[in-house]
Amino acid sequence: MFERFAKDVRRSVERAVDEAQALDSATVEAEHLLLALAADEPSPVVRLLADSGLDHAGLQAALERETERSLAAVGVVVGDFVLSERSSPPRHRPRFAASAKRALERTLGEALAQSDRSITSQHLLVGILRADNGTVPRALAAVEVDRIALLVGAERLLG
Amino acid sequence: MTSTALELPSDPADGLAAVVALRRLADRVEDAEVERALSEGWSWSQVAEALGVTRQAVHKKHAKRLADGSPHKRRP
Repeated sequence: MFERFAKDVRRSVERAVDEAQALDSATVEAEHLLLALAADEPSPVVRLLADSGLDHAGLQAALERETERSLAAVGVVVGDFVLSERSSPPRHRPRFAASAKRALERTLGEALAQSDRSITSQHLLVGILRADNGTVPRALAAVEVDRIALLVGAERLLG
Repeated sequence: MTSTALELPSDPADGLAAVVALRRLADRVEDAEVERALSEGWSWSQVAEALGVTRQAVHKKHAKRLADGSPHKRRP
């Protein structure tokens, strides 16, 4: 099945591992897939994200905002240093965790539902944005991005 | 709330997201502090005792990464 992944989407899946590592995460999560998509070469997907303020930097800021908010909800306040600075070598190559796996399953499901032969970054974006719970929808909400509107836009790219 | 009670978020979505964020934060602090303790001469046994885990557990979790990388600021 993996050979049906188009080059752009393979590149994003690989880059997601780097994104996770750069953020000191022991796991690859859905938000790392989205960061990888946002950092890809210019494409309709990258433009759609950027139009909502979600270029790579914007998305990173949204994720930091989400973390700050979630910690603040239980009374924890951390400095910028702890949130953004790598202090230590990574533990190991991050493994794909549940949120990323579910996003990839949805990606595949989307391509199958559309009877598309090749799985592209458009499918991946839809797969990521379909999650109703978790870090990605919360990060988008934290910067007032309408996830459903973005999802509709992504579905439109699929034609 | 009293000064001793933890006030929980009113929405479980916020509480669950806090759990995720706290786990990540704990992982990062652990990585940094284990490295710092070792560089300041702590033994694995002392680090393990301070963390409340076995020496084997802390060694398994951190020894490889700290041996592999030149310490500090290794970016992919």
